[in-house]
Amino acid sequence: MKPLTVDSVNAPADAGIPWLAELRRQGLEAFQQLEMPSSVEEEWRYVDLDFDLADLSLADGPGAPMAPGEYAIPSNGHATIVDGTVVDVDSPAEISVMAIGDADPALLADAGGSAIPADLDRFAAAHYGFGGDAIVVHAAKAAVAEAPVFIDVQAVTPGTLSLPRVVLVAETQSELSVVVVYRSPDEGEFHVVPHLQATVGDNARLKVTTVQAWGSATTAIGQQRVVLGRDAHLHHGEAGIGGALGRLHFIVDIDGPGAHSEITGLYFGEDDQVLDYRAFINHRAPHTTSNMFLKGAVEDASHSVFTGLIRIEEVAQRVDAYQTNRNLVLSDDAGAESVPNLEILANDVKCGHASTVGPLDADQRYYLMSRGLDRIHADRLQVRGFFEEAIGRMPHPELAEPIRAAVNDKYVRAQEEGRL
Amino acid sequence: MTTALEVRDLRASIGSVEILKGLDLEVGFGELHVIMGPNGSGKSTLCHVLMGKTDYQATGSAVVAGHELMGEDVETRARLGVAAAFQYPTEIPGVTLRELLEELAEQRSDGADIRARIDEAAVRLDATRFLDRPVNEGLSGGEKKRSEIFQLAVLAPRVAVLDEIDSGLDVDAVREVAEAVEVMRGPDVGVLLITHYNRILKYLKPDRVHVMVAGTIVQSGGPELAEELEDSGYADLVAQFGGVAPEAPEGDFLAGL
Repeated sequence: MKPLTVDSVNAPADAGIPWLAELRRQGLEAFQQLEMPSSVEEEWRYVDLDFDLADLSLADGPGAPMAPGEYAIPSNGHATIVDGTVVDVDSPAEISVMAIGDADPALLADAGGSAIPADLDRFAAAHYGFGGDAIVVHAAKAAVAEAPVFIDVQAVTPGTLSLPRVVLVAETQSELSVVVVYRSPDEGEFHVVPHLQATVGDNARLKVTTVQAWGSATTAIGQQRVVLGRDAHLHHGEAGIGGALGRLHFIVDIDGPGAHSEITGLYFGEDDQVLDYRAFINHRAPHTTSNMFLKGAVEDASHSVFTGLIRIEEVAQRVDAYQTNRNLVLSDDAGAESVPNLEILANDVKCGHASTVGPLDADQRYYLMSRGLDRIHADRLQVRGFFEEAIGRMPHPELAEPIRAAVNDKYVRAQEEGRL
Repeated sequence: MTTALEVRDLRASIGSVEILKGLDLEVGFGELHVIMGPNGSGKSTLCHVLMGKTDYQATGSAVVAGHELMGEDVETRARLGVAAAFQYPTEIPGVTLRELLEELAEQRSDGADIRARIDEAAVRLDATRFLDRPVNEGLSGGEKKRSEIFQLAVLAPRVAVLDEIDSGLDVDAVREVAEAVEVMRGPDVGVLLITHYNRILKYLKPDRVHVMVAGTIVQSGGPELAEELEDSGYADLVAQFGGVAPEAPEGDFLAGL
């Protein structure tokens, strides 16, 4: 295994891409300067990080890929990245799917604009400093690919850190559809700092679903950024299902007038899982709209955090922005934090948020039982309905069934094992 | 032949507030009984107490088709044959009416019968338009009442308690709801219709009318009693029988009375 030193990455696959080379340099520098975040910091107050990245090692090479999982769907092109190395690429006709080492740097000239800053935190610094390989999905101008590209991001070598990256580019007027599934075995400890960045050009549309199906002893500190051009459209679905600690810091920069960002997510925590969502929706152009709809449940001793910031810059007049976060707390030892924030610098905007944290609804239970359902099945139906609202709004209907099964199975299992 | 519903000395309270004060009632199979009374007399409480809502401490006896309800939980009462059409039906987001009934069919031994009745009753009671929509969500007042009666038709209870199914509806909707009630009447079910106004009785012929004031039934009679009340109002009865029942504690008001 390779320690986190400069020598570990002396010939990265993306060396030919100037902005990545620069971020790599910045990352190495920032890694020397930034410390591990502590829960004293507001940003990390709900997370207990009991390790230092400097003590972790990278896999020498990719391990044996996992068998196709429950989220494998019929796709139009796919790619697999194992332990941070691209191992398998199949590119369809309409668009390009490739390892970053095979990408023409000219194709990615503008993609730097959607990169996570290298000094965001020690995780971002490590990602750039010591990561290397990436999957690139590129839709050329006016290219349309309706069936999704399937990207399988795996960590399989126990005891390692992996730093996978996915770069999406939808050029002007193109339509791109991508499913990214993150996974690792339940057996063995894994640390992962995945990055996903997307540049959505003028009049382009991106549908992207991310499924965090990490194994139960995986710590995943994900970072994600999408930049939208003029009249661009983002429809993003997120399912937080696995992982011991699953954190996702995601940024949507709505830079082009008329652009729209639609984000729908769900998460379900069990055991002592921590699921931590940090959403930053930045309206930086007029006539832009955004909507975020996130529903989560926690049981056992798990905790969820949603911190959402809608920031509307002074230039961004006539903005319509909304976020909704609803949480079910199913056990006494479980907890959910929901902290929506608005920062509005413009004066002609519509903006709002709704946030709830609470147990199952007693009136719904009574109503369902009055029809003859016992309490267990009444509650099951209520939980199913709770998530159905989010599932129905997600961008890829072909993932609805496995996502539905994953969250509902968690609840049924907890009932059957007497944990609820 | 047992009666559909036999209630003896039914009392119910929330905290220290007694709402039902010793209520007696008998509804035979095939019969339609109406309970009328002013606001705050405990009519809706009667519905919830029969259904077993846990907000109330209740004593006394309520026997449905030979089975004692008191002490049983909500689901058991439903299985014993009680079903209620609520005044304020709860929305169940993300669960369609069909899914709810399918789930019920899945859990019950008479599931095949329930399943067979879903589509048949949906057509008969004009419920197809909201069968595949989330339960009670985005429905008009009339559709909610219709949905409740449709569910009762699928459940095929021994006793149907209809709580203010005519409230908040315009004249046409009241007539439609009354027709739906007529459709679900039959020799195997006793119907107890709770109402504040007698306008739905223009379309339904009750066997008995009971007047409820301050948590107990103060007068019973034939259909003509409803007409008398239409003329006289409740004021005299309220004055005679101890005024309006105390209101439930703050916050529970909508759920209770």
